[in-house]
Amino acid sequence: MRRLHVSLLLVLGILFASPDISQAIPAFARKYGFNCNMCHTVFAKLNDFGQRVRDNGYQMPGQEGREKNVFQTAPPVALRTSTGLIVAHAVSEKGTTSGFRLSGLDLLAAGVMHRNISFLMIYTPRIDEPSADYTGNTDGSNPGQPGALESANIIFSNLAGGGLNIRLGRFEPGYHAFSSKRSIYLLQPYEVYAFTTPNNSFVFDDNQIGLEVTGHFRHGFKYAAGVINGTGASPDNNNAKDFYAGFFKTFGRGDGQSAGQRVGAFAYYGWQPTKLDSLYVGPSGEADGKANMNFYRVGCDLSCNWNRFNLMGMLAYGVDDKALNDLDSSLDYTFSGGFARLDWTALYNNRLVASIMYNWVNAPCYDSERDISAFTGLLRYYLGDWTAVNVALHGEYTYRETGHDNPYREHNLAALIDFAF
Amino acid sequence: MRSRWFLITWLLAAPVILVAGVQGEEPLTPITSVGIHSLGPVPLDNLAPPAVPPGNPQTSDKILLGKKLYFDTRLSRDNTISCATCHDPAKGWSDAGPTSKGIKDQLGGRRSPPVSNAAYNLLQFWDGRAPSLEEQAKGPIENPVEMGNTHTEMLRTVSDIPGYVDEMEKVFGTRKVTIDHVAQAIAAFERTVVTTDSPFDRFIRGDSEALTPMEKRGLEIFNGKGHCSSCHWGGYFSDGRFHNLGIEPLDPSKPDSGRHNVTKHPKDVGAFKTPTVRDAALRAPYMHTGREGTLEDVVRLYDRGGGLDDANLDALMVPLGLSKDEIQALVAFMTRAMTSTNPEVANVKPVPQSELPK
Ligand code: HEC
Ligand code: HEC
Repeated sequence: MRRLHVSLLLVLGILFASPDISQAIPAFARKYGFNCNMCHTVFAKLNDFGQRVRDNGYQMPGQEGREKNVFQTAPPVALRTSTGLIVAHAVSEKGTTSGFRLSGLDLLAAGVMHRNISFLMIYTPRIDEPSADYTGNTDGSNPGQPGALESANIIFSNLAGGGLNIRLGRFEPGYHAFSSKRSIYLLQPYEVYAFTTPNNSFVFDDNQIGLEVTGHFRHGFKYAAGVINGTGASPDNNNAKDFYAGFFKTFGRGDGQSAGQRVGAFAYYGWQPTKLDSLYVGPSGEADGKANMNFYRVGCDLSCNWNRFNLMGMLAYGVDDKALNDLDSSLDYTFSGGFARLDWTALYNNRLVASIMYNWVNAPCYDSERDISAFTGLLRYYLGDWTAVNVALHGEYTYRETGHDNPYREHNLAALIDFAF
Repeated sequence: MRSRWFLITWLLAAPVILVAGVQGEEPLTPITSVGIHSLGPVPLDNLAPPAVPPGNPQTSDKILLGKKLYFDTRLSRDNTISCATCHDPAKGWSDAGPTSKGIKDQLGGRRSPPVSNAAYNLLQFWDGRAPSLEEQAKGPIENPVEMGNTHTEMLRTVSDIPGYVDEMEKVFGTRKVTIDHVAQAIAAFERTVVTTDSPFDRFIRGDSEALTPMEKRGLEIFNGKGHCSSCHWGGYFSDGRFHNLGIEPLDPSKPDSGRHNVTKHPKDVGAFKTPTVRDAALRAPYMHTGREGTLEDVVRLYDRGGGLDDANLDALMVPLGLSKDEIQALVAFMTRAMTSTNPEVANVKPVPQSELPK
């Protein structure tokens, strides 16, 4: 039963405490008077058109400098949250818990300041009330949502045509082709993104602080490369910076989001400190980085579009130096994982979307308790009129197994309303 | 330590310098200030009254004079062609196409765009080479494949028609007929050919029954999944800008480089002005070549992500993944819902020969 509570809390935690499932920017739709589906296949997943606008620093390609900027429009602020019922059932415990809940709140602002200079900010305010099922103290010591500046970056676009754009600040790094921030799944993460290894605080899909260059070219080639702290928003506790690069190629017209066939490959190379050297501890407690050990992640991805189907897949392989491996310090810690996902849109203007997804992570055999396999199905129906379809009725079901020998099995079901305006 | 700060400062400053450089290099194509929209997509809407240039105020006499000139074939060299030959009210203020037939049955290279609502164009012609209706109107008269005349010859003809000289005096205060006055009168008439009463307009004004459910879905797709309003925006349903949609040239050996003829800017090769979608159903065939026979053909072209694989294909052209139903809804929206029925425009009849000045 305890495990069940823990699992429910975990699920709620994902929704509540990871407020960065967040990026649909109705402020843009309002600025132009567009329906959300101009840029989104269904919000929050970007279509090719939206992807191109994003790649172009939130400017419509070809219209740079001829659009209203943030000083000429109403303040470009948007909000997003979701609410509903979540039911979790643990198989072996035969126990079920359920609760109504309200997920966190995201405040988004984004826009163009001058031709080819734009910004994005996502702020998640601290919410002291814990989620509905929480039974501990409610004095704010366990906030439902930590206050965070999820994103705050400035973008310089078209420095050499579309081939060179720079983002500075805290941003979503471009090596992963499938944004977890713009996933239509509200509860089920990409497990291999969320998977963390022993003694290594790196999270694959954390928004990172640093600098990124990206480029896109006529023949469907795109790249992203960056240098970042690699610690999310935590203080940088090593001197060495992390590096990454991703390359993507789309065959046929489109960007692989809603048309065209896209393949990609990425590599991430980072350092993680193993010890704190008391001689050189800085004011905020960071270590000197003398004992930095490296880790890397490599992988490939694929997005195929046919008719109203979009098949996505991603494989990742990760290696942490043995010095980081406190489970077996004679071995590098290696794991692999990925997901396969199929989306199908239906009805006029993609009002309905159905999706299935399989996620897996293979941890090393001595850590097989952390193996994951999860099947998820989703149905979303969008409400709204010709100017916006910004309210989604959302049903999501997951069957998830964790561990290898005696896996923990659970069913999670959610019926939610997701809205942004 | 110092060198690192130096590096960081540079890293931060470099993009700013680069952007400043890029901005300096490539000046924006100027957009004239006449017009209801110059900045960015704005929501689909009703049409505001057209802007009238200060040098050519509207008067009812001038409009009437312009209307007569518009329908008068005597402006052409051999008295066969008037503006209305190619911009016929009964054919959606365009012609049968695919491209226009001018004097002595000569075929032009481009489709005749509608004169209705042309008052809202920021720039006239498919390539935007004329800045105003006044400038535009002078063109066809001396275009050898259109009216085949010269301005001098046309002015002599008009000056020899006492009825016109009287009207000119009433309107412009002089009996001397000038090309500017002819053009101003025609332009004043064109500014009255404004269609503001489509079912879409009534829907926007608050009549929620004005559109059928199918048309409402079409509107939603137009403004959503179809991306149409990213170019066809505002009350005029046009951004007044130039895009390359990969439209196949009529004669592959003579590609039409469109806007590039005017700007010589490489990004304008094969780019043509976005036409309004208002009243489109009245004026098939479509595009600057008149190659697309029906509105459904047009939508299917967009659904494929544009026409030919042109190196300069507009970045906004992506395949849309429309279903058959969605295509039908879009066509339904453009067919009835975008067609205006204001009597003063929809029922404009050519001025009969007998009523033209003698
Ligand atoms: C022989 C056929 C023909 C005749 C006669 C003709 N036009 Fe046109 N008109 C065209 C064509 C073809 C175009 C487009 C040409 C281009 O873009 O290069 C055009 C363009 C225009 C436009 C620009 C519309 C837009 O959307 O850019 C206006 C306004 C116009 N004509 C008005 C007139 C007037 C006024 C007259 C009479 C003085 C006239 N036309 C006579 C064929 C004709
Ligand atoms: C990239 C900008 C752009 C987008 C997006 C766009 N259009 Fe167009 N549209 C144009 C341009 C430019 C032309 C003229 C092209 C030419 O003749 O070369 C045009 C022509 C047309 C015409 C023909 C009008 C006439 O008088 O010949 C119709 C109808 C039309 N578009 C409807 C649509 C619909 C429906 C959509 C959405 C599915 C759409 N457009 C999306 C720019 C756009």
